[in-house]
Amino acid sequence: MNKLEEKAVSLLQSGVKLILGYEKGDKGARPFFCHTPEDASKLIYDEHATTNLATYILKPELMGHDKVAVCATLRTLRAIAQLASENQIKEENLIVFTITEEGNGDVKEFSGIDEINSYLTDKELEVAQLYKELDEKLSGMSREEKWSFWVNEFSRCIKCYACRAACPLCYCTRCITDVNRPQWIDPWPSPMGNMEWQINRVMHMVGRCIGCGACTKACPVGIPIGYLSRKMLNDLSEEFGYIPGQAMKDGNSLSTFKPEDKENFIH
Amino acid sequence: MDNNESEFEPKIVAFVCNWCTYAGADLTGTSRIKYATNVKIVRFPCTGRIDFMLLLKAFANGADGIIVSGCHPNDCHYTSGNFHARRRWIAFRHLLEIIGVDVRRIRFSWVSAAEGAKWGDLVNETVANIRELGPYTEYTKVAQYVEKEDNNE
Amino acid sequence: MSKIGVFICHCGENISATVDCQRVAEELSKVDGVAYSIDYKYMCSDPGQTLIKQAIKEHNLTGVVIGSCSPRMHELTFRKTCAEAGLNPYMCEIANLREHCSWVHEKGEATTEKAISLVKMLVEKVKKDHPLTSIQVPITKKALVIGGGIAGIQASLDIANCGHQVILIEKDPSIGGHMSQLSETFPTLDCSQCILTPRMVEVAQHPNITLYTYAELDSVDGSIGNFHVTIRLKAKSVDPKKCTGCGTCSSKCPQKKIPSEFNAGLGTRTAIYVPFPQAVPNKPVIDKEHCNYYQKGKCQLCKKVCPTDAIEFDKPDELLKEDVGAIVVTTGFNVLKTDFFPEYGYGKYKDVITGLQFERLASASGPTLGEIRRPSDGQIPKKIVFVACAGSRDPAKGIPYCSKICCMYTAKHAMLYQHKVHDGESYVFYMDVRAGGKNYEEFVRRAIEEDGVKYVRGRVARVYEKDGKLIVKGADTLLGGAPVEIEADMVVLATAGVSNNGAEQLAQKMHISYDSYKFFAEAHPKLRPVETNTAGIFLAGACQAPKDIPDTVSGASGAAVKVAGLFSQSMLVREPLIAVVNRCAPPLFSTCVGCFMCETACPYHAIEHEEIKNRNGDVIKTVAKVNPGLCQGCGTCVAFCRSKSIDIQGYTNEEMYAEVVSLLNN
Repeated sequence: MNKLEEKAVSLLQSGVKLILGYEKGDKGARPFFCHTPEDASKLIYDEHATTNLATYILKPELMGHDKVAVCATLRTLRAIAQLASENQIKEENLIVFTITEEGNGDVKEFSGIDEINSYLTDKELEVAQLYKELDEKLSGMSREEKWSFWVNEFSRCIKCYACRAACPLCYCTRCITDVNRPQWIDPWPSPMGNMEWQINRVMHMVGRCIGCGACTKACPVGIPIGYLSRKMLNDLSEEFGYIPGQAMKDGNSLSTFKPEDKENFIH
Repeated sequence: MDNNESEFEPKIVAFVCNWCTYAGADLTGTSRIKYATNVKIVRFPCTGRIDFMLLLKAFANGADGIIVSGCHPNDCHYTSGNFHARRRWIAFRHLLEIIGVDVRRIRFSWVSAAEGAKWGDLVNETVANIRELGPYTEYTKVAQYVEKEDNNE
Repeated sequence: MSKIGVFICHCGENISATVDCQRVAEELSKVDGVAYSIDYKYMCSDPGQTLIKQAIKEHNLTGVVIGSCSPRMHELTFRKTCAEAGLNPYMCEIANLREHCSWVHEKGEATTEKAISLVKMLVEKVKKDHPLTSIQVPITKKALVIGGGIAGIQASLDIANCGHQVILIEKDPSIGGHMSQLSETFPTLDCSQCILTPRMVEVAQHPNITLYTYAELDSVDGSIGNFHVTIRLKAKSVDPKKCTGCGTCSSKCPQKKIPSEFNAGLGTRTAIYVPFPQAVPNKPVIDKEHCNYYQKGKCQLCKKVCPTDAIEFDKPDELLKEDVGAIVVTTGFNVLKTDFFPEYGYGKYKDVITGLQFERLASASGPTLGEIRRPSDGQIPKKIVFVACAGSRDPAKGIPYCSKICCMYTAKHAMLYQHKVHDGESYVFYMDVRAGGKNYEEFVRRAIEEDGVKYVRGRVARVYEKDGKLIVKGADTLLGGAPVEIEADMVVLATAGVSNNGAEQLAQKMHISYDSYKFFAEAHPKLRPVETNTAGIFLAGACQAPKDIPDTVSGASGAAVKVAGLFSQSMLVREPLIAVVNRCAPPLFSTCVGCFMCETACPYHAIEHEEIKNRNGDVIKTVAKVNPGLCQGCGTCVAFCRSKSIDIQGYTNEEMYAEVVSLLNN
């Protein structure tokens, strides 16, 4: 038995009803709901474990009312920390553990959100290669070129809402696209509605996005939508006083302010 | 062509707060300061109330320019609505820049209830700027956009 | 289906001179949903209003748009008109055709076109309007006043004299505050205690005032009209009902060397003590930190000698719960800790004292019975140097502001000294003399011209002792910075006024804002100087900033009027233009997901957490709820809500959306 399996078995024997983790799939690791000690041997943890399991935590129909444990990757931990700061995590029913980077497969269980937050303090949030390339491509473009690039990208959106479903922080019970008084955004695919939808997603993620890339990965037509939130996350961090990948302590960066906030466009 | 441009009358919507800029624009009137007819004011309780979606909707419905204005920092009737708004505009404007929206078409300003003359100047300047930029069809055209074949990899 | 009435006002010629009002009315009559459209010379006149009322009744109008002057002018007038005709007043909107159109544009087609689109915009808004009813909040007509200095005393008396119940709490054993420590007051030189003590007694005897001394605010809940407060009654160890105030206990107490707070450390007191002879109430308390029994477990001498058996050791603090409708905060100020000035030798040299200590020396009730004597040797000083702005207006020391009262009290101190020590010499080092106030400048001139106080413009760099004298080294900037050196017998520092201890914690308890110096912030520095941003909580006195007595008293009376005004109605009626979090049918209950971003965005702490429970009492979800008593209607929360679960009445998402779309599509 490896350390992960040992941990899973002991948790399941001590009253935990479900462990969210990963198992081997056709294309690398895929999410796995482990209910019994017998299944624990299927649990794996490797660099292919990229699905953000935090997405499942907010779904009561999946979680039930029992104690649940999560085998969390770094991006899952970041999502949990952010969700906790938004009052979305019931700590008493959740056990979070991770496989530490140091050591060979050591399991670390967190005592609570505070410990997750401090664990994340020295974990730098990297920018994906795809985004770096896009950054380079876009930086050479004129405004008009950028505009036609994004208009074209957004026009390909089929409004499947996979990005919304994959994002651990898109947890509204009623999305703005479902609001019809007024109908802010066309819920069906349309070039203008698509653009408004994506702008909304990014604005709703300001100071909240944890840069896990789940949205980009989920997009079936391959729009690099996560780039926008990710870029905003980095660009605004200094101005708004947060560290990308870490939850803010006293409220979201958009719903708080400093009297000395700087801008250069309000005259 | 030149002739056409000079006939272009931009449509500009102003999103203003009730306590400072709306009152400031009232003072412009009381002072009989003249300005262009292109700007029409929508009254909000506070700049903090102004949803960025309304700005997008203004462009989508054919606005060539937008003015957003409220109380100066520290003067907000509600203490901090304008501070919240300022952060929102910092983020929103940055995003628009990333995707290539022509941010020159949104004029952010602080106009107090005493700055009647400033409001008049702001309107005239904005109208002149937008007139120079021309109609913002680039934005409304999105609605009819058809994906380019060669971009479809 | 909407039936909207449109009424275009000519405003004499104010509108009709540049706008073709008749055409505006005609064009509007073609708009969907408009049932009646007319123009008239003066809509706000009696016949104009009658016209509106009749049209509402005759055409069963469901909404009204008036194209007239600014809504900031006549919105209320026209809403009242509609209400009189039976239409909900919030179904009436004003299109600003005068200030925003006719007065700012030349006569012409474009101006009329703009007027038409402004009215159309409001027609679209009215279509989305909902009838609203004003918010009524019941009011508990009892006020809590925190702090029994002159501000709290004045506010309590004024509220009580309006016939309302007042609870006054004071953290010290007696009310009176800093004013009771003062000798004489500028600019009239009347004795502070002589004018204060009658008011202190009045407070104690007033049938509408309940006084709790040695009491502090523990917690506050609720909102305007209905605060629930918990007051901590600190254990006095003396039963005030039994105690007659005979003073035997204090005279027998073995702990006699405790520095007296009342005398600013220049005198001593016992562990069981009455802070000063005129204290109200005049009953002692035991200072547990210095009491032999509390510290070492034995003594109880006071208990043995008490003729009425009033001493009760080991009683715990009591927590008292009260419901009040308004709170007045009058917690006052403090003077800067003088360890701030190593260069002036305070604490090192006994004869370098603060202004407050000088007050005690000059006071007839003070440690020297009003004679100016040096703390070190009891000698009468022949030369005193007063240092103004000791800490104030000194950004390097962290206090850039002017403490306001120092110029005046320093002039007073020098004057009192000259009156008491005729052959004495007094010097005042100052930066500027700020004597703005009734008879203030005259007072300072009197000190200089009649009493011979010598004013030196410049800062004191250092004070040190040499041969029993205090050497004051400074510069006279009026003489081009020439060095000045004075051999003084005593130095008095006009130390800066700073916020009181614990001001920050108190503000956080009450959710009121405070500035970077921990002074409490008023809702508007000019127009709402005694209100806080939290409705129902008012401010007065030096807890806002250093203030002199006249300003403090007028502020206190102002706060009292605000309270009395609030209490003059049985229900607090407020405009319903506030935010509301939606509620819907189970199992959703509300589309709010409880992220509470709105909570940090709200400047008024109006967002509350509401737990939605099932029949078993289990919490299903926690959602936001707006406290209608606190919300002021800025709508900042609305723009933040991602799921659009909060909306603001009067400026709803639907209304604003309709306005924008209308403006651009006609």
